[in-house]
Amino acid sequence: MPTIKLYANLRNIAGTTEVSITPPSGMLRSVSRESNLGACVSALIEQVPALDGVIVEDGQIKPYIVININGHAATNFDVPVGKDDVIAIFPPMAGG
Amino acid sequence: MVDERIYKMFREIGRDMFLSDMISSHGGNLSIRLGDRIIIKRRGAMLGILKPHDLVETRLDKNDSGVVLASTELIVHRAIYLNTPALAVCHCHLRTAVAFSLSRDELVPIDNEGSYLLKKIPVVTEEFASGTPQMANKIAETLKNYKIVMLRGHGSFAIGQTLDEAFHWSSTLEEACQIELAAKLINEPFIEYRGMAEGYKSF
Amino acid sequence: MNGWNNKVLDIDLTAQTYETYPLDMEIARLFIGGRGLGACLLWDLVGPEVDPLDPENVLIFTNGPLTGTGYQTSNRFSVTTKSPLTGTILDANSGGFWGMRFKKAGYDVMIVRGKASKPVWVEIKNEEITFHDASDLWGMRVFALTEKLGQNNNKRNVLCIGPAGENLSRIAAIMNDRERALARGGPGTVMGSKNLKAIVVEGKTRPKIEDKGRFKFLLYESRKLLAASPVTSQALPEFGTVVLMNIMNNICALPTRNHQQSQFEGAEAISGEALTDNYLVKNDSCWACPIGCTRISKTDKVKGEGPEFESTWAFGAQCGIDDLPAIIEANSICNDLGLDTISAGSTIACAMELSEKGYMNSGLRFGRADQLAPTLEAMAARENVGADLADGSFRLASKYGHPELSMSAKGLEMPAYDPRGMQGQGLLYATSNRGGCHMRGNMVGPEVLGLPKMIDRFQVQGKSSFVTLHQNVSAAIDSLVICKFTNMGVAEEYFARVLSAVTGIHYDTGELTQVGERIWNLERLYNLREGFTKEDDTLPPRMLNDAPAEGPSAGRVVKLNPMLKEYYRGRGWDENGVPLQAKLKELKLVNLGV
Repeated sequence: MPTIKLYANLRNIAGTTEVSITPPSGMLRSVSRESNLGACVSALIEQVPALDGVIVEDGQIKPYIVININGHAATNFDVPVGKDDVIAIFPPMAGG
Repeated sequence: MVDERIYKMFREIGRDMFLSDMISSHGGNLSIRLGDRIIIKRRGAMLGILKPHDLVETRLDKNDSGVVLASTELIVHRAIYLNTPALAVCHCHLRTAVAFSLSRDELVPIDNEGSYLLKKIPVVTEEFASGTPQMANKIAETLKNYKIVMLRGHGSFAIGQTLDEAFHWSSTLEEACQIELAAKLINEPFIEYRGMAEGYKSF
Repeated sequence: MNGWNNKVLDIDLTAQTYETYPLDMEIARLFIGGRGLGACLLWDLVGPEVDPLDPENVLIFTNGPLTGTGYQTSNRFSVTTKSPLTGTILDANSGGFWGMRFKKAGYDVMIVRGKASKPVWVEIKNEEITFHDASDLWGMRVFALTEKLGQNNNKRNVLCIGPAGENLSRIAAIMNDRERALARGGPGTVMGSKNLKAIVVEGKTRPKIEDKGRFKFLLYESRKLLAASPVTSQALPEFGTVVLMNIMNNICALPTRNHQQSQFEGAEAISGEALTDNYLVKNDSCWACPIGCTRISKTDKVKGEGPEFESTWAFGAQCGIDDLPAIIEANSICNDLGLDTISAGSTIACAMELSEKGYMNSGLRFGRADQLAPTLEAMAARENVGADLADGSFRLASKYGHPELSMSAKGLEMPAYDPRGMQGQGLLYATSNRGGCHMRGNMVGPEVLGLPKMIDRFQVQGKSSFVTLHQNVSAAIDSLVICKFTNMGVAEEYFARVLSAVTGIHYDTGELTQVGERIWNLERLYNLREGFTKEDDTLPPRMLNDAPAEGPSAGRVVKLNPMLKEYYRGRGWDENGVPLQAKLKELKLVNLGV
């Protein structure tokens, strides 16, 4: 199952740095099937309710949140996610 | 042919513009600047269902695309890129905003989002509201200081670093105008809820 | 016209005299202040015949019309000179309190010329300028000196060099208010070459503001915007800039072991999260700043400001070191010695690679946290291996026969973003007027953080437009002079309006960006006059030819040529990167005799 890594204050909110998501309840899933980012994030929020409202807004990735799949930025929830993929979620941040 | 990523960007925004009633079937336009070149929708193409060949790439200072572009449009976009820091232009026929533009020289939103993001939107007027150098320069001049401007009776021109941004200002403006229209229908005294709101008019 | 003090302080260290005269307001209108004003003055004062360490080189300290007004982050200031590290035009920018105080002492510009016959320090108390003998201060480290000269953030502010500048290390910084730095490119070296140990300022006169009502409104709106942006209201105060470590590592754009890799297995250990959890005391801020990105960190050995992301990377991933306390200590040592952390760390990393490959016999090895502190001390003192490292990685690597192992552009060490993972950043480094620098138009916003919107970091076509815009806007902000983090919540249209409200001169947003473009072009012309050509708009071969073997940036090198071509054309330059006459005319640079 895909792994979700959390960073910065998302760790404080979730109380953890990493979450292995289990499939959304009610969905049949074979090990080789792909999921999409939306399903993975839904599974994350179901497992870590404290993240509700933090990552998703109006059905989209909340502004300023960055979600990378294996190091590549995903800009919407339709992006496919494979079973070994690593999803990294970053809250608003900046530097120089 | 234009880079696939760029085409996808145009297609998505164009579709959103059409589905949000910000343009008619063949109206409006989008363009971006790449160095000293522009990518713009070709004349006659429909933003709601853009195909790859609907996007044309041409030089900033003259048309070397080999395609007959919507020259009335291109001249405005060109003037904007030559005179402002814009990297993207979004042109819409915002229905409510156009209606308001008929009776005032500037739009000052009263809703939270509009006043927060836009503050004030100038209205410029030009006798031939399409395609003259005068009109193009007037719009470009105004966009030197504002990120979105109304051309009276015609529509909006918004600029940004990306098409997303320019679309954002356009969408926000139409929303602000619709809210103001609703408020006028409700027709009750306005309760000022914003601090230092008198500053918006002179923004 | 308000905002500016309309006063230049011109100091001759050789004769130990000074004079004051009005600021040329025509120049001020075109270049505003800070970096812009500095560039314009340096163009006239220092030509190609002057070596950066000659007495004929100058240090031009500048603030801007917004400095000291109380607008958010209106505390910053610049120093402009010819760089002893790169030979290019150099401006460095710092925060804290000194710049604000210098403005309140009644000046816009201070030009420091010549060379004192013995060490001196200068005291400025409004109109009173005093030269003091600094013989007994020479050799003092920055922290002790700052305290000795009476540093008080709210009253009396000290700007100085440490032993690194005295010993003419070409990566020496000028420090102010104890731990703020004018760091890159060796401004501290120039100050050391002039036997100038410190400049201390007192002053209380607030700058005049033309339209106070409008200024107040814009201040109010800016405050709202900064509070509403999660970047400026939460991310920066809570985690500081080091928060970037994990995301840069995640996308495989964190240069590691002298850019041999782009991901560091120890990134988590030196991340912003790790700093906050284990070593952070509190955050802090510069004058008039509501953001508060400064870290105050503490280990067993040190307590003080920092470290920032770049510094943590330079001593961390770049050196293969995951020992965060050692990195914090190294940062503190650099501040105390007056050394640029980015160049210092990257130079040590270069020495590590040279040594591991057997080209150099220094004993330095990647991962050796214990080697950081003694190496830095040796560099500032120019002793033992430090003598080789004191002048930066390019001179070091060249001496040992492998200049290609210096991870620098135009001789300035590249910072913490691997351009193979960010095409736009590669173009930025190659074209920055002071060398490999991220502050000239950092593309981390659009290419990594999605600010304002995410742009594909591997995309090449069209990337130059963003780089150009960011370069122009950064130059304008560096001339106001305010902090670029303000721009993460407040758009340029506010800055233009604030500038208009303060000065009484109308600037629209486009004109403000054009000031930035003007500055950029003048800096370019300066470098061309110095003999730089398009051949210098390049990157180390490793960036152009050696792709990371694995990870999200695997297989990628910087596709510099197509981006550079598009960049030159988009800027209105010819195919050699020389600004065309039409562009110079448009920017009103023709009149400067360029």
